[in-house]
Amino acid sequence: MTPRRARVLGLVTIAVLAVLPWVLARHQLSILVDLLIFGLFAMSLDLIMGYTGMVSFGHAAYFGLGAYGSALLLIHFQPPVPVALLAGALLAGAVAVPVGWFSTRATGIYFAMLTLAFAQLLYTVAYKWRDLTGGSDGIAGVPKTTLFWGGPSLADPHAFYWLVAACLVVSLRACRALTRSPFGRALEAIRENERRFVSLGRDARPFKVVVFVIAALFAGLAGALFAPFRGFASPEVMFWVLSGQALMMVITGGIGTLVGPVIGAMVFLLIQEVLSSYTEHWMIFTGAIFVLMVIFLPGGLVGTARRWMEARG
Amino acid sequence: MSFLVEQLLNALALAGLLFLVSAGLSLVFGILRVVNFAHGVFYMLGAYLGFTAMAVSGQFWLSLLVVPPVVGVIGGLLERSTLRFIYRRPPIYQLLLTFGLALILEETVRVLYGPTAKPVDAPALLQGAVPILDTLYPRYRLFLVVAVGVGVRLFLARTRAGLVIRAVAQNSEMADCLGANVPRVRTLVFGAACALAGLGGVASAPMTTAYLGMGIGVIVDAFVVVVIGGLGSIGGSMAGSLIVGAAQTWGAFYLPETAMVIMYAVMGAILIFRPWGLFGEEE
Amino acid sequence: MKRREFLKSAVVSGGASLTVPAFLRRAYAQNAIKIGMPTVLSGGNAQYGIQAKRAAELFAKDVKARGGVLGRPVEFLYEDTASDPATAVRKAQKLVEKDGVKLLTGVVLSSEALAISAKCPEWKVLFMSTINGAGALTAKSFNRNFFRINTSGPMGARAVSLYLAEAPMKRFFALGSDYAWGRDSVGSFSKQIAAVKKHVVGKEFPPVGTKDFASYIAKIKQSKAEGCFLVLPGQDATIFLKQAHQFGLTREVKPIMEILELENMKAVGDAMAGTIGSSRYPFTVDTPRNRDFVTRFHALHNVYPDMFDGETYEGLEWLTQVIRKAGTADDIEKITEAWEDSTYEGLEGTFTMRKCDHQAVQPGFVVEAVKDPKYPHLIPKILATYPGDRVTPKCRTEEFA
Repeated sequence: MTPRRARVLGLVTIAVLAVLPWVLARHQLSILVDLLIFGLFAMSLDLIMGYTGMVSFGHAAYFGLGAYGSALLLIHFQPPVPVALLAGALLAGAVAVPVGWFSTRATGIYFAMLTLAFAQLLYTVAYKWRDLTGGSDGIAGVPKTTLFWGGPSLADPHAFYWLVAACLVVSLRACRALTRSPFGRALEAIRENERRFVSLGRDARPFKVVVFVIAALFAGLAGALFAPFRGFASPEVMFWVLSGQALMMVITGGIGTLVGPVIGAMVFLLIQEVLSSYTEHWMIFTGAIFVLMVIFLPGGLVGTARRWMEARG
Repeated sequence: MSFLVEQLLNALALAGLLFLVSAGLSLVFGILRVVNFAHGVFYMLGAYLGFTAMAVSGQFWLSLLVVPPVVGVIGGLLERSTLRFIYRRPPIYQLLLTFGLALILEETVRVLYGPTAKPVDAPALLQGAVPILDTLYPRYRLFLVVAVGVGVRLFLARTRAGLVIRAVAQNSEMADCLGANVPRVRTLVFGAACALAGLGGVASAPMTTAYLGMGIGVIVDAFVVVVIGGLGSIGGSMAGSLIVGAAQTWGAFYLPETAMVIMYAVMGAILIFRPWGLFGEEE
Repeated sequence: MKRREFLKSAVVSGGASLTVPAFLRRAYAQNAIKIGMPTVLSGGNAQYGIQAKRAAELFAKDVKARGGVLGRPVEFLYEDTASDPATAVRKAQKLVEKDGVKLLTGVVLSSEALAISAKCPEWKVLFMSTINGAGALTAKSFNRNFFRINTSGPMGARAVSLYLAEAPMKRFFALGSDYAWGRDSVGSFSKQIAAVKKHVVGKEFPPVGTKDFASYIAKIKQSKAEGCFLVLPGQDATIFLKQAHQFGLTREVKPIMEILELENMKAVGDAMAGTIGSSRYPFTVDTPRNRDFVTRFHALHNVYPDMFDGETYEGLEWLTQVIRKAGTADDIEKITEAWEDSTYEGLEGTFTMRKCDHQAVQPGFVVEAVKDPKYPHLIPKILATYPGDRVTPKCRTEEFA
């Protein structure tokens, strides 16, 4: 795709996002907000997976930290939502520093399992620290406060949608810029051939740790949006099942494309949403769709679409 | 004293079951380079088919003999019809595919058997408890410890298949060198691993009943076992099973507040010091 | 109706037992009173969602035979929450915003219930619990849109404690799953046992999903307790009881369950005979109304009703009684007012809806799992029945008078 075409496509997408609230029914807008939040989450995972080749199996932990951070802040102090977003993201990023530092000692499956181990540790903390987190019951009744002190309320579905859409678009642009910076190119060099990178006299690990932390920040942001939107945070948002689902979303959309995982998350959730209202045995059909998708759509939805467009010129 | 013996036996029984599952997982990774997320579901399938076999024949020993090959054949067929098309892709794709398979199988079992757990009785010979020193210990668990221990020992040390598996698992390139018919070797290995998981499932059913979700539960444990031991190493799986079995049993007893997380803590600690597992090699 | 049944049977014979798609359900009844059930229909907890659904199916049939409520048919909309609170809220919101549902019920997990309940005032809908045990729902987290028909966790623990106060046993071990229900019930039990000068000699909290209880069994043995109070969810309870029997524990220590379910009795088998516990609804209650219900339930589903089958049916019956009284199924303020302080003759006895915390006051049962040649599995035999005022906590608390 030419840069011009990409830019046009980007502008069209923003225009569509802007128009959608007036087109969609209320419940459709609710679902769209959900899709965008998980899209942001999947995109953050792609930053690690797609641009360094490291597969994290514990990414839900940072989503969860963001959710708990913002939920606790909103419920106890009712600050404007953006303050809670910042706090959630920073909490996730801060915890990711030591985890990233330890986990990047290993590679491949071992890296995945180390991130899983840390995520389960954090899950257990959320589960057992009942005084703070409410344990397995979680924290319910998280309010959607205002945009800034004395500013407009975000309880209106449209208002919250704008906030989420803006967060996604800005994050996407920021991540894109990051991957095109010298830092991003260094990451790709590590992914393609770590030995050569190291033999040039540079240390790969700081790069890996930094990208791990940045990905956690964005995952935390997604979680911090989730808590006021759904009104609660519970240990399930940190569980390995969600980490696994995030992997599925990234692969469904297309690894290393940033925008692919956003689409992947939407497709993944929509498939479940639609199928599960038709049949309680939706897992069979979801499973079959995954199997077929992996076999027939290598590179995920976006990867396949790109190849198709290139073939057609 | 008798108490320590009991705790030791508990850990060994759990380790035995874990080994049956994780050995197959490790084998499939070692030879096919596939992280098989559906592996646990074959364990569950074993337990449910064991229930059916028991209901039909009333013979525990018969179902122990018949069910694993059936599970193996199902596994082999699934490998032929799906996995074989994507061996060249990065491992993450195989994970997604096997995740899809796991969903399909899990829900199919529920459609067929319903949501209620299915009881499976141990054979009359192994019911009840025997006195060990001054405590009572279930005969069935004792049987598990002895049977798995002896079985593994015999299989690995004496049979040719054991030799081949050991060789192949230690060196994945061997699979390619086997030359003539790599696709067939893959199907056989995958099927054999599934059969092993199925065996674990039949064997565990009298201890835990056959229930939905047992596959997901065990696959996470088995991943941890395999990673602790080192991917592709059968010896590692054995060591990993013992470590996880001991951690879960003794952890629950001496450090009950850590029961939820002790397995992960042990794995994390081992990986921080040995990033490729106890018996694994740097990739 | 014909078309619906035809469709259903066609799909079933097609291999997958699909439920009827939502758009057809809407076409079927324009004017229906819609009751939304965001419940668990897949995975391990599905047994509870299935109970809620079975009760609703029988209830729908009964209402139809009586010509509906306020002249309107009643229609149930099921959604699968897959045991995940986030999904539960999403599905509930969909039922409210898309299908225009004003009444929600059938929620399975406490975490799901707490998350949904907190949203109900914003959505302007009522949430009737028939399954959720968490004490907080009618105490710390109470809101006026929430009604609890079922016996709560603290009430179950209370019934058991009242029974044990008079039993010869003196030393107890408490084993609760490591989550809110297990921890709260064990806490409540310990307090009440201490109040009658008996002893809880040990407490443990195995994680949910524990598959080997050997270490816990060893601890219970060491404690020399006479009874073991168990607060374990369905599958965990089945595994524990099975293993406790194999270790010979159940011969030395009496298992006492906070809830004694048919599901467990079916899965554990005869090894469970002699186990006692509280029951939120034992199908063996010997009243004409209940005998009739059990017969009709069995005729429709070919199984005997378990606890949540009974309580969900009672809830639905009461709800429609209130709707008739209020004269509306859409004005939730009127329904709330009509419900508060109202009474209802249920299958298991008389219910009163307490105005202050929307907890239904109802009798508490202690039962024993016994063998009966008339039934294919063990059944709950009622050992003791306690009046509602003795088993219900003080208003908006989890404490007892």
